[in-house]
Amino acid sequence: MGEISQMRLRQFNQAGVDAFSKFLTACRENPNERVPMELAESDEHTILISDEIFVEPREFSTRRDAADYFHRILSPLSPDAVRKDAGMWTWLSLFYFDQICPNPNGNRKVRNDYTYLFMPDQSRHFYRHLLFIAWQVKQIASEHNRLFLDSSLVTLDKLTTEVFKRLYLTRIPCVFELLDRLYWDRRTNRPAKGIVSPHKISAGDLMHRLPTRIRQLEKTYDLQSLNADQLLEILGNEFQQRAAESNPQMEFILE
Amino acid sequence: MIKRFNSLGRKRVPRDCVSIEVVDGEPRTFSAHIDFKNHNWDANGTVVLEATCAGSSLVQRFDCGTVGALKQPIGLPLNDLHGQNVFFSLKIIDPSQHIGRLLGVAENIRPITTGKQTVSGRKGILPVEHAPLGQELWKLEYRDHDVFLLVNQDVPSLSESIRSDPVFFSLIYPQIMRQVLHRAIADGAETDEDDDRWPVLWLTFGRKLHPDHEEPPAHTDGEDVIDDWVEMVIAEFCKLHELKNKYVHSGYGGN
Repeated sequence: MGEISQMRLRQFNQAGVDAFSKFLTACRENPNERVPMELAESDEHTILISDEIFVEPREFSTRRDAADYFHRILSPLSPDAVRKDAGMWTWLSLFYFDQICPNPNGNRKVRNDYTYLFMPDQSRHFYRHLLFIAWQVKQIASEHNRLFLDSSLVTLDKLTTEVFKRLYLTRIPCVFELLDRLYWDRRTNRPAKGIVSPHKISAGDLMHRLPTRIRQLEKTYDLQSLNADQLLEILGNEFQQRAAESNPQMEFILE
Repeated sequence: MIKRFNSLGRKRVPRDCVSIEVVDGEPRTFSAHIDFKNHNWDANGTVVLEATCAGSSLVQRFDCGTVGALKQPIGLPLNDLHGQNVFFSLKIIDPSQHIGRLLGVAENIRPITTGKQTVSGRKGILPVEHAPLGQELWKLEYRDHDVFLLVNQDVPSLSESIRSDPVFFSLIYPQIMRQVLHRAIADGAETDEDDDRWPVLWLTFGRKLHPDHEEPPAHTDGEDVIDDWVEMVIAEFCKLHELKNKYVHSGYGGN
């Protein structure tokens, strides 16, 4: 995308979304399909959002890079407007298409539409948009977010989807600190292994046991008022053990 | 049939103990009137109201004093909640424990009166929405509080036909009911819950239709028992609305 220069922030109208969607279909058939960058500034397909917000070609080495960048440039807009703007995030998908759908050796692999077309009202799809989710993670979890942001922008990992599809989890104020304690392995400096295995339930895992246990606890406790220590205390042994395994220093203290 | 029960000590706060009004503005404000009447809650129980919006991870929490010394919320700002679907929870919390245990809860309370920025009450048990569905004409989407009938936005007349045209109605609605009732049973909802989430409303609807007004089975009752109950409800629905006759008289039923 070397020849693309910075542009004022725009959003696709319906014609723009349709044209981009057609391109995605064509690109699945032919990975060398030309990216229709002319759509990005077409008055027929887009609407200017702001004269003062510019986007520029960038290389995002991690989801965190993208999250930091979008938070900076979109800060003049209200978070609620950003959260709902299907046309803007879809337009950004076109602008950064080579970043989110790279073309190594002419072998571009286009994923499901919702990866690139933002669908804010679709509860099963909204969190799967590669650029939106980067912004959203940082918006909801300004701290304790390394499980979700220190990863590739190109694919959406299971760990992120398993958390962000469950609003009852992300509505608990201390949940991100808790998740970090439970599932960030400080020995390897990576997410712990085996916590999102679809077919294998393991003690204290993120995919099966945590949602089940939180659903049980929310019937008994006021989870909104708890800090991470308190929530870990009532989650029980399997989770305390998991936290100890992820944090060898804590294991030492427990011994 | 296994009857589920709440063994946790938490009780339901009746809905008629609280009425809420949301007023338009920037930001919107709300007032609530809480009246526990002659219910026998612990006078020291801490009372809080929590507000959130459908699709939002943000929960705003408002201190309402104690059961014995209520502070009625009047004109409080809903600063960071912008969605149209605002709903509230009322919690009574035991303050004597270091981790707040719930004494009583009323969940998913919708405002009784609102301005234009907010939706009040609910729009039936199966709201219809347009959505991009590709070559699919309709599908069900289960969200936190409602189940939606999504119809293809590229076929503008479909949303009206699907509700009122006897051909569409007789072919589609029994299958919709079958899907939703099975899912509601799997959700574990009960018809006596003071709740307006879709599983509760649909199972209440099913119980009313059932020829013997039999309670819906629990998800643990086994496939045969569940199938029997659902099929009896659907047969009654078809009978009540004379779906076969309507289909035949629509002109499609000729030899």
